[in-house]
Amino acid sequence: MNIQTFAALKDYFSANFNVTENLHHISDLKTFLIQQNPAAQDILNISRFAVNDIFVDLDFEIKQHDTICIIPPSSGG
Amino acid sequence: MIPSALSHPVAEASIAPLSALPLDLVALLSLAHHPKAGAVVLFSGEVRDNSQGKAVDYLEYEAYPAMAIKMIHAIVAEAITRWKLTYAIAQHRTGKVQSGESAVVVITTSPHRAEAYAANRYIIDRIKHEAPIWKCEYFTDGTKEWGGNCNCQKQTGDANKHIYEFDHQHQTT
Repeated sequence: MNIQTFAALKDYFSANFNVTENLHHISDLKTFLIQQNPAAQDILNISRFAVNDIFVDLDFEIKQHDTICIIPPSSGG
Repeated sequence: MIPSALSHPVAEASIAPLSALPLDLVALLSLAHHPKAGAVVLFSGEVRDNSQGKAVDYLEYEAYPAMAIKMIHAIVAEAITRWKLTYAIAQHRTGKVQSGESAVVVITTSPHRAEAYAANRYIIDRIKHEAPIWKCEYFTDGTKEWGGNCNCQKQTGDANKHIYEFDHQHQTT
């Protein structure tokens, strides 16, 4: 699956990378990413996840060809 | 071609929700006049020269356009329906914005002012909490920090649940 990160998350991960591990839910992806970079735990805990540009919950099922955006808290305005 | 104020329909005009160029508040306002609107409210969110006790040099806004554009259109469309507005637009800057410049503009118009004010607060609140747009503050001392306007998750326990100023206002008045 293709992962896109933004803003402060780019201090911890590439803006765009692929994950080939066999992950079933958004929560698995989150756990995997925290294992990859434990320093990102706090920001990942307050970020939203979007699959194919729709916000989803942690129990959402993910597929190998999904594009998953990790959206840190908004700070527009 | 820019539509004239008299010809545009009772709906959202085709203003791009994101702009890499300075927001032209006067031009946007001139499009908002409408013969059925007795009230025009313009909110401009502007960059302050200080934040967290430090002098701000400039801000840099990043957006995820694929989602931000759709979300801003949807928020504005919802406000038009909910408050029966004659017109509404919202436009947010991307890229480098200097202090004193507008980072976001929301214009709402309605026959009477109550609806235009309420809808304007609703639109700006939802954009600030929900739209995938982020600011990075660059301070004059050379440091930088990603802004964290939306920290609702600390109180709601869910990054998808927000506490809005317009709700709070509604409950306490």
